Amino acid sequence: MADTLRDASAAPPRLPRVDWVAAAPFVALACLLVFGAFVSPSFLSLGNLANVLTRSAFIAIIGVGATFVIASGGIDLSVGSMAAFVASVMILFMNTELGGGGVGTLALGMLLAAGVGSMCGLLNGLVTTVGRIEPFITTLGTMGIFRALTIWLANGGSIAMKSQDLRTLYRPVYFGSVGGVPLPIALILAITAVGAFVLYKTAFGRHLLAVGSSEDVARYSGIPINRVRTVAYVVQGLCVAVAVMVYVPRLGAATATTGLLWELQAITAVVVGGTALRGGVGRVWGTLCGALLLEIVGNIMVLSSFVSEYLIGAVQGTIIIVAMLVQRSLSNRNRA
Amino acid sequence: MDRLLRTCAVAVLVLGATAAQAQTKTVTVAVSIPAADHGWTGGVVFQAERAKALLEARHPGLKIIVKTSPDGASQANALEDLTTQGIDALVTLPQNSDELTDPLRQVKNKGVFVTVVDRALSDPTIQDLYVAGNNPDVGRVAGEYMKGKLPSGQVVVIRGLPIVIDEERQKGFDAAIAGSGLKVLDKQFGNWSRDDAFKVMQDYLAKFPKIDAVWCQDDDMAVGVLEAIKQAKRSDVQFVVGGAGMKDMVKRVADGDAMIPVDVLYPPAMIATAMELTVANFYDQIPVRGRYIMDATLVTKANAKEFYYPDSPF
Amino acid sequence: MTVGATADAVSIERHNPAPVLEARGLAMQFGPVEVLTDIGLELRSGEVHAVIGENGAGKSTLMKLLSGYLAPTRGAIHLNGATVAFRGPVDAEQRGIVLVHQEILLAPDLTVAQNIFMGRELRHGLVLDDRAMNRLAAGAVERLGAAIDPRQTVARLSIAQRQLVQIARALAGRPRVIVLDEPTASLTPHETEALLNIIGELKRDGVAVLYISHRLPEVAAIADVVTVLRDGKHVATLPGGTLTPLDMAHLMVGRDMARLFPPRATPPEATPLLCVKDLSVPGASSDIAFTLRPGEILGFAGLIGAGRTETFEGLLGLRPAQGRVTLAGRATWFRSVRDSLAAGLVYLSEDRKGKGLLLAKPLAVNLTLAALHRFCRGILVSRTREAKGLEDAIARFDIRARRRTMLAGQLSGGNQQKLLLAKMMLREPRVVVIDEPTRGIDIGTKEQIYRLLAELAAAGKAVVVISSEMGELIGLCHRILVMRAGRIVGELAGEAMTERNIAVLATGADVHTSAVAVGA
Repeated sequence: MADTLRDASAAPPRLPRVDWVAAAPFVALACLLVFGAFVSPSFLSLGNLANVLTRSAFIAIIGVGATFVIASGGIDLSVGSMAAFVASVMILFMNTELGGGGVGTLALGMLLAAGVGSMCGLLNGLVTTVGRIEPFITTLGTMGIFRALTIWLANGGSIAMKSQDLRTLYRPVYFGSVGGVPLPIALILAITAVGAFVLYKTAFGRHLLAVGSSEDVARYSGIPINRVRTVAYVVQGLCVAVAVMVYVPRLGAATATTGLLWELQAITAVVVGGTALRGGVGRVWGTLCGALLLEIVGNIMVLSSFVSEYLIGAVQGTIIIVAMLVQRSLSNRNRA
Repeated sequence: MDRLLRTCAVAVLVLGATAAQAQTKTVTVAVSIPAADHGWTGGVVFQAERAKALLEARHPGLKIIVKTSPDGASQANALEDLTTQGIDALVTLPQNSDELTDPLRQVKNKGVFVTVVDRALSDPTIQDLYVAGNNPDVGRVAGEYMKGKLPSGQVVVIRGLPIVIDEERQKGFDAAIAGSGLKVLDKQFGNWSRDDAFKVMQDYLAKFPKIDAVWCQDDDMAVGVLEAIKQAKRSDVQFVVGGAGMKDMVKRVADGDAMIPVDVLYPPAMIATAMELTVANFYDQIPVRGRYIMDATLVTKANAKEFYYPDSPF
Repeated sequence: MTVGATADAVSIERHNPAPVLEARGLAMQFGPVEVLTDIGLELRSGEVHAVIGENGAGKSTLMKLLSGYLAPTRGAIHLNGATVAFRGPVDAEQRGIVLVHQEILLAPDLTVAQNIFMGRELRHGLVLDDRAMNRLAAGAVERLGAAIDPRQTVARLSIAQRQLVQIARALAGRPRVIVLDEPTASLTPHETEALLNIIGELKRDGVAVLYISHRLPEVAAIADVVTVLRDGKHVATLPGGTLTPLDMAHLMVGRDMARLFPPRATPPEATPLLCVKDLSVPGASSDIAFTLRPGEILGFAGLIGAGRTETFEGLLGLRPAQGRVTLAGRATWFRSVRDSLAAGLVYLSEDRKGKGLLLAKPLAVNLTLAALHRFCRGILVSRTREAKGLEDAIARFDIRARRRTMLAGQLSGGNQQKLLLAKMMLREPRVVVIDEPTRGIDIGTKEQIYRLLAELAAAGKAVVVISSEMGELIGLCHRILVMRAGRIVGELAGEAMTERNIAVLATGADVHTSAVAVGA
């Protein structure tokens, strides 16, 4: 009996099969692009596509971090407030003009943002793991804390970059481009590539997926689960900080509405991208796809004139559900 | 128009009366307002705190409690808490008029003097005093200005959130430009947020090759709109009309910025007006019951200095 | 083999009435594996029909088919002569067939009465009639010879009490067929006796009882008909009275029991590698002391709940514990499982699916999880090294995987165990603790696992086997420690390692006076 089985396993490998589960978000995205082209002639214009891709940078970058957290079996609801808080601290620092008021100030400001973002993530991670509090509750709490701190720092109004010179210097980070590619788009691709590399190619990534898959199995295998889960939140914090570095040059200010509902958008992008909320699976490129999908849906709604402005939410919701249904049917096909 | 009194006239009256009789009489006034969740409400909180400091300094026996609430339900709770502390008057800017009408009736039934600001209750008999900006006028003044500046042209509109205030402003605007040469290309919600207005404006610019002017109802959103226009390097957009009287925008008007030639006033300082009048009722025996509707003043380069508060967060 | 052949020729005399429940040609496939082939079975009112077989023989699957938890791949089920296809366990229950699980499936935070009436609550209009439910529940429990307050929450009951509540719950629906899956596995001899009496009463009430048990003396005592399964196939159906436990064992195993185990190496004389003293695990065990030599296989026997698993989880840093440990002459203590892994001790959980393997992940990911550093270049996980590691493991442990890319959950139980063994061996341990090594594993793979464990010992590793199957401890180990209620109550070696001796120590009862002696 053993011999027959060995023979079967030694058979030549079949043609590579399409992994429909992983491909599904891309298929949905392609469908939406075709739909957009039909609905509005200006949709496929280079300028419009560049705008939409650039705008999706915040959610896409935060989504990479959210993919890590969700794949590890957690959830982070605080990212929107955290973005507002990090942006406030960063702008307040840059208004002091420490570092010479030029590139030095910008660099220090970004470094500070990265530091503050990581610390916020570390706080979420430690409260969740060491404090053994459900991540939903932990981050719901920090969501309120970060938001309130932002409003307090802004005195209820907005925090704007005072120096016009610094603004002019910083502006290209959002509005500039390298070789025809807007900088934020290049940054999304870079961050997603790094995220995919860490998640799929490194031991940390493997451990993270194991923890999300089954905490017990990971523990019995000697994986430091608390450390792994905490680092996932720190990665999320760093991603928020990077998103903020692109956000601040756009309007040069943080307000009480900065980052409002970003947490829901990021989680939606992750799920639409094919990552299950129960953890154990992380699809970083899928998340990018999900973020684009969300932004494009909004764009198509404004460009097309056939839906009343009151109904846009309903159409957006429908499109997201249809996109998920397309994915589901494709992944069923995979199983068959 | 039911403009009964001009703000300034009242203020003068109140000041004069207070100077005449300085007596220590104990009065507690509660001020219940939304938390600072966007620029305009941030301004409300700032102005309420400012008025509290001024009024308490003027009347030694006066105690003002300012309480902010993030949503309608918690404001209802806050109202109960304030009433149990024993108050003589309540000045409130309700999160949501329908939701808070009944809680306010309870307060009124305890014999408290009730001043409602900005958002009208479903049952007007509850309020002793109603102080508000003129929402239809915010739209009308903007519309008339645009009609006068552009005999014919294409405009886009960015609305706020789908609530009554927004609807009233929109109606005022529509009525003002009716029959003129202005054509509204599109209307979308920008949620009174800079970021959302930026996105909507980007999409407008992609969609329409020629836009002459933008009405965006609120100065916070105007910030995003200006940035989107700047990025697109489009010279066809001649100007943007916002509203509310945010200090940055008022300053641009004062400086003669061509993109922001005017602003339509809807000042968060109306909370201070309401507090002044309410306190006057107790200390000065001045009849204040009624409706005080403030003008939607058009801020131009000529009068901009009057409405510029450099210390306000908004 | 000869026994099986003659048994097949025997047929039941058909003077009985028509069967209530009948299975014809039932077959069940899980993925590529056919776990049941062409099973026929007849259940009659007032009759106790026992199904026996080794672990992995297909008993559980058969029961799940008959009670609506699974739908057969082929074959039919007849209820009162008519073909039925159950839409689910609830459907089966409404038709009068109820399964009492071996595992406890009760809501721990609800009361006994609430559990018994779950899903069929009594009510006055919209309001629950708690008083009536408590009264009826008390009666139902009392009928089973137990005194349990119906208002007590299930979480506060002992395992045996919970088992009784489960049975009471099953009986509350007045079933025509009741399927009992290893109902006595966690019961004391006294409780077992009470249960067997109840089964007698059910018989008299005209209920058909399908009884699954490992405990052959019990089966011999109560079964009217015995059906033997082996490797998913029907071996024999015989009248109960004619069979001795020994006959049944031969039918179940189908070969000489002795050949199942590799020849036992002589007990090693080396100095102890691991000394444990005064080990106590809060809530589970205390005063545990033993030594372990390189090359030795040490067995841990005991009833379920005796604290064996918890003791070793405590020792290896998987749960809070205290005690004194000497490893290779040096005093040490493992604060976490990372400590014990680093010291060369590995633990293979009895819960392979929940704590051993990531079922939704590929084989290679599972294999390398506990020793990922060995497959890394710098911070990168090397796919080529992983692939090579998988090939080595498949060859060494004879893991039967049709494709290298398949998921761990798609392997059969036996191959999962081999994969888990391969995974932990990558840590190159000095001490291997393996918990219930052959639970749910077919007999062929069992033999392989025994051989692998013997090879590990021969290679100088110290092996601890925790098992509830006394036969495998006796066949495999040099010494057996028996635990009862959290303490080690005896040590057996050489000729003293018999099922009777183990049972006496494990239950604390004098087997000679019990009606249902454990052991064949």
